[in-house]
Amino acid sequence: MIARGVSKRISSIRFALLSPEEIRKMSAVKIITADTYDDDGFPIDMGLMDLHLGVIEPGLRCKTCGRKVDECPGHFGHIDLAMNVIHVGYVKEIKKLLDATCRKCGRLLLTKEQTDEFKKSLERVEEFGGDVADLGLVTKETVREAASKAVCPHCGATRTKITLDKPTSFREEGHKLTPKEVRERLERIPDADLIPLGLDPRVCRPEWMVLTALPVPPVTVRPSITLESGDRSEDDLTHKLVDVLRINQRLRENRDAGAPQLIVEDLWELLQYHVTTYFDNQTSGLPPARHRSGRPLKTLVQRLKGKEGRFRSNLSGKRVNFSARTVISPDPLISINEVGVPVEAARELTIPFTASPYNMDALKEMIRRGPEPLAVIGEGKSRYLPGVNYVIRPDGRRIKVTDKNSEQVAEMLELNFVVERHLTDGDIVLFNRQPSLHRMSMMGHQVRVMPGKTFRLSLSVCPPYNADFDGDEMNLHVLQSEEARAEAKVLMKVQEHVLSPRFGGPVIGAIHDHITGAFLLTYMNSLFTKEEVMIILSTVKNHRELPKPMMTDKAGREMWSGKQLFSLILPATLSMAFKSSICVNCEPCLYEKCEYDAYVRIKDGNFEVGTMDEKAVGAFKGKVIDKLARDYGSDVVREFIDNVTKLSIASIMVRGFTTGIADEDIPSDGKNRIAESLEKAVARVNELVRQYKTGELEQMPGRSMEETLEVEVMKVLGRARDGAGDIAGQYLGMENPAVIMAKCGARGSMLNLSQMAGCIGQQAVRGERLSRGYWNRTLPHFKQGDLGAEARGFVKHSYKDGLTPTEFFFHSMGGREGIVDTAVRTSRSGYMQRRLINALEDIKVTEDRTVRNTADSIVQVLYGEDGIDPSRSIQGDAVDVDGILIEALGDEAQILAKIDEKRASAYATLEMDMMEGQEEEEAEEVDYDIGEGDEQ
Amino acid sequence: MKSIARSRTTAKKAKQQARPAELENYVVRKEGERTELQKRLTKLLKEMERKLPESVIEKVSDRLEGIEVRDSTLKKILAKACDRYEEHLIDPNESAGIVAAQSIGEPGTQMTMRTFHYAGVAEINVTLGLPRLIEIVDARRAPSTPMMEVHLAREFADDRDLAMWVSNRIETATLLDVASLETDIHNMKVHVLPDSERMKKKGVSIQGLREVLSQSRGLKDLISGKETDTITIEIPEPSFRILHQKSEITKDSKIKGLDGITRAVLRKEGGEYVIYTEGSNLEELLSFELSYGSYLDSSDRAKHNEIAESAPEKLSAQLIDKTRVRTNNIEEIYSVLGVEAARNAIIEEASKTLEEQGLVVDIRHIMLVADMMTNDGSVKAIGRHGISGRKSSVLARAAFEITSTHLLRAAIIGEEDLLDGVAENIIVGQPVTLGTGAVNIEYLPGKKE
Repeated sequence: MIARGVSKRISSIRFALLSPEEIRKMSAVKIITADTYDDDGFPIDMGLMDLHLGVIEPGLRCKTCGRKVDECPGHFGHIDLAMNVIHVGYVKEIKKLLDATCRKCGRLLLTKEQTDEFKKSLERVEEFGGDVADLGLVTKETVREAASKAVCPHCGATRTKITLDKPTSFREEGHKLTPKEVRERLERIPDADLIPLGLDPRVCRPEWMVLTALPVPPVTVRPSITLESGDRSEDDLTHKLVDVLRINQRLRENRDAGAPQLIVEDLWELLQYHVTTYFDNQTSGLPPARHRSGRPLKTLVQRLKGKEGRFRSNLSGKRVNFSARTVISPDPLISINEVGVPVEAARELTIPFTASPYNMDALKEMIRRGPEPLAVIGEGKSRYLPGVNYVIRPDGRRIKVTDKNSEQVAEMLELNFVVERHLTDGDIVLFNRQPSLHRMSMMGHQVRVMPGKTFRLSLSVCPPYNADFDGDEMNLHVLQSEEARAEAKVLMKVQEHVLSPRFGGPVIGAIHDHITGAFLLTYMNSLFTKEEVMIILSTVKNHRELPKPMMTDKAGREMWSGKQLFSLILPATLSMAFKSSICVNCEPCLYEKCEYDAYVRIKDGNFEVGTMDEKAVGAFKGKVIDKLARDYGSDVVREFIDNVTKLSIASIMVRGFTTGIADEDIPSDGKNRIAESLEKAVARVNELVRQYKTGELEQMPGRSMEETLEVEVMKVLGRARDGAGDIAGQYLGMENPAVIMAKCGARGSMLNLSQMAGCIGQQAVRGERLSRGYWNRTLPHFKQGDLGAEARGFVKHSYKDGLTPTEFFFHSMGGREGIVDTAVRTSRSGYMQRRLINALEDIKVTEDRTVRNTADSIVQVLYGEDGIDPSRSIQGDAVDVDGILIEALGDEAQILAKIDEKRASAYATLEMDMMEGQEEEEAEEVDYDIGEGDEQ
Repeated sequence: MKSIARSRTTAKKAKQQARPAELENYVVRKEGERTELQKRLTKLLKEMERKLPESVIEKVSDRLEGIEVRDSTLKKILAKACDRYEEHLIDPNESAGIVAAQSIGEPGTQMTMRTFHYAGVAEINVTLGLPRLIEIVDARRAPSTPMMEVHLAREFADDRDLAMWVSNRIETATLLDVASLETDIHNMKVHVLPDSERMKKKGVSIQGLREVLSQSRGLKDLISGKETDTITIEIPEPSFRILHQKSEITKDSKIKGLDGITRAVLRKEGGEYVIYTEGSNLEELLSFELSYGSYLDSSDRAKHNEIAESAPEKLSAQLIDKTRVRTNNIEEIYSVLGVEAARNAIIEEASKTLEEQGLVVDIRHIMLVADMMTNDGSVKAIGRHGISGRKSSVLARAAFEITSTHLLRAAIIGEEDLLDGVAENIIVGQPVTLGTGAVNIEYLPGKKE
């Protein structure tokens, strides 16, 4: 639990290098033996598992702090190295220092003037807000300058050439420099000379880069695991430390015994190897240290680095409690703001409440219900009621509430006890679907506890989550603090995210059948009997009053039009006009008199003409939703979207709607016409090929003959496919369900239909006709060098006809490319997004509306050059000028009329599709990580 | 700044068809060129002591142009617009960066990977879709498919022959484009046999060819065959290796054109011929002198003389309209025109790429990315070599990529992490400094009097 009222904050973290003294000072114990446990399985003193280093076994107490497991954070120990060893991470730095300083006196190889000059430029860079990389460039320059000196300006010693033998040994004019000598040289560099070299002598003396003592991390950092067999399995770090200790021991013994120089040097190098791999087991030029099983050990650097490393896996990403994950399924009857939570999950997820005089009684009541209350409401029906799982006393003790002790616990309840209550209807939770590509991937929902084992969500919120119900799972997080809940309620609720910050349009709206339903309800002169009207309206909450019926039919029944019904869920003050998806862009536009009923006009909440389809209520495109979200606020849109959903479903059910492959049936004369036109196209292709072969083909400028042929053939075949589609389209009228879906934007396109009914068309890989496979031909079914339509992947048949074997193969080739493309794309774009986020995450708009980064430098003087929030913008524009003119000029009609006149001519260009309908494709989940392989 | 906002709306229209209108709009309007109505609106705003962005004023004046409106009515409109404008302003502490990154990254999954033919210019292949977007964000030295769009000065723009002539001058031609090569092994000679037809088309004379060849390195003193219409290159010593080498040099020698421009294609756009080139060389193109006189000189002597008599100043008119040259090579724009131009180029290229894919992304997001990339005066990539590698926080850098190096370096220079950013604060487990985390409200219960 979060400690209440604590407002402490870490203000900064300073990094520094450990000095040997410090290593020894912070060490709880000096480690000398390579053995870990004695025969009884008890940690050996001064061994790697010494009890001074912390405890990992329950029951034992730490010898340093006296605390038990989980209480003791662990303590460092140290190993005194027999001989000096170079720290791998700093070899390059050591090389730089050796190069830049005098071999003899240790001073920087620069005159005083030069040194001051470089110091100054460092200060200058810092003053102008230079970052670490900029400072690095200056010091690099300093080193270069110093390394070019032949003689030391201070003592006159000549410079010798020092080379670095990767990974860790230095050589001076052919002689090996031992780490000890290196350390001695580094010691000689005076503090003042370190500053121009980019080192801060207050936190780092260069000789510390050569180790004399090695810190041993606490056992809590490298816990050993006891296997089922009772054997102990040690952590990789422990293994490595054992190696270090062993060699260290041998080296010490040999050296003290006065062993031959050669042996000592070999052991010294071995020690260097072990210490090096202890730091980084992927040092280039060194074979990685391996586990007995042959697996390379995961040592310090490997623990931190990469996606599975400490930083990205544990520090940037955190595990949470109070979350749930399960399959999602649709529920058209709940609000977009809600989420259906299974009872089982609700009983497991809890919200803490601190007992106060105001909620005492309510909490007691809840505790009494126990962990699994059921309110019976007669005849085997029951209602969900929230109970309590745990009560936490102010001293931190948790009391589990059971059926047996519930009464007792309730009586015990006192002020400041914390009661963990079950989730119940109306609680706000966060709901999320991965990949979380934008902020709408995680939104606040209100809980509705339901029977069943899946999360239920409204279909209208599927687009922002990019969710469907083919097995998708989603996560739910229960907020634990009042602040978080308040924030979620105000900022994260679904209704606050109807408008996307990406383009300032709606991302939540009707999809699929809901669009079809709205279409069927409102298209042309749809009429409904009183009975039907009652059925439809009974599903809708809060609608306006039903007006007088539009007409009575021959049988004398009262009939209402669908447009009348739709008006009932519109706000009474709404006025707008636009063109629907079914609009065919005829010239000139007849507006209200549109013969396709494609011009929508709503006046004062009265839906006069037009059709409600994707352009009106769809996600991404819905203009009505856009307008309502902008002008009427989130509560109104939420209600409207919910109502559209219900209204559409009711009307589609009243009218009845079905589709199947039979919808693509076309009469035989249609089939013949298609076949005929395709034959013609194929013949035309053959003619082109003949012309190409005889050289009669007229070459296009800037193209080779082959390219010309390909372009021409593609053109002919493309036209043939369209032609077949058009013919098929003639037989598929507006009464055809599949056509209705395509035209109103619910699902599918006319292209899909023409591929089912007419002809699938040319298959392509990389935008070209298929050409690869066998020698000079695509398949052995064709002659070599055949450039005709069929031999190069033209599919004459329709999906309904069925494909020939060769066609089927070609179709698969085209399909495969798409799949590969998707796979590559997801990983690429994932990495791009990670980089973008990382680069821009710190940027915020400050109170003066400048945009700044963390260094407080200004990135933009005014956000987006006009300070407008993209999600509040009107398709990118700062304000809705036309709307304002209409509002402001309400009483000056003649001016308005003139503006209208002017605008009418430009209307076609103003009308822009918000977003192209995308094919739905489920991408395989991929590792977003590319580009890290070539690290360093 | 303003011109970008304009170019976007116009680019939309351009897709429909109206190219010339777009061109009209690219001309930056100066203060004096603002319409009367715009000035009047600005004056009224000043009187009201309120502010509106220029784009709104322009749009209002566009709508009301030519309609008589009283000052009081205008004020009413402006007041309303100001109210709305203030409502639509972005909130302080909004994490604009993250929203921008998401808005550009999210549609990435919907983009294609393939390169396509550029809208209309079927001959030129241009990288589009996700690869292009990544290229822009990476701030690569050169795009994988560099391209230029060269417009002619308006008075010449409708002349096809002239456009052709210009495009031939820009396009690089190697020797093989105008002549064939014959290697005479027996006499150790390379014969260049110019094709008069093609020579004429490209506008190269034999003398010119000879000159170019004699100036190219490695061939200097080997040229002979002065009087004939072939050029002979004599190899001083009998060596097949040298013969081969010389013939290769000859083959590849550039006869004319600008370096890097491998192809130039003409296209008619709204009554104007535009040259599209494969390859880009902004610097040379901008200093490339092509006058009307030189065109007439080589095509129509009579007219040349005529004009030289009547209006000699016309002859020095430049054929290429250098204010309308465009390239998709951002680095080139940066080095020739500077950061501001590079920033605009990034915005334009990125929004063009997204728009071409049918994805709508608010220009403000793209602007923020571009501004971030160009903030310190040079073009920096989004990634570990650019912005991410230069963050002020050690922890944030370590969390992104190349973890150990950053930590090791931080230790020796004694870096201090001030925990201002998002990543750092998440790492240490405290609220981030954006949005609601940026404000601190403390409740101090008032003392009872």
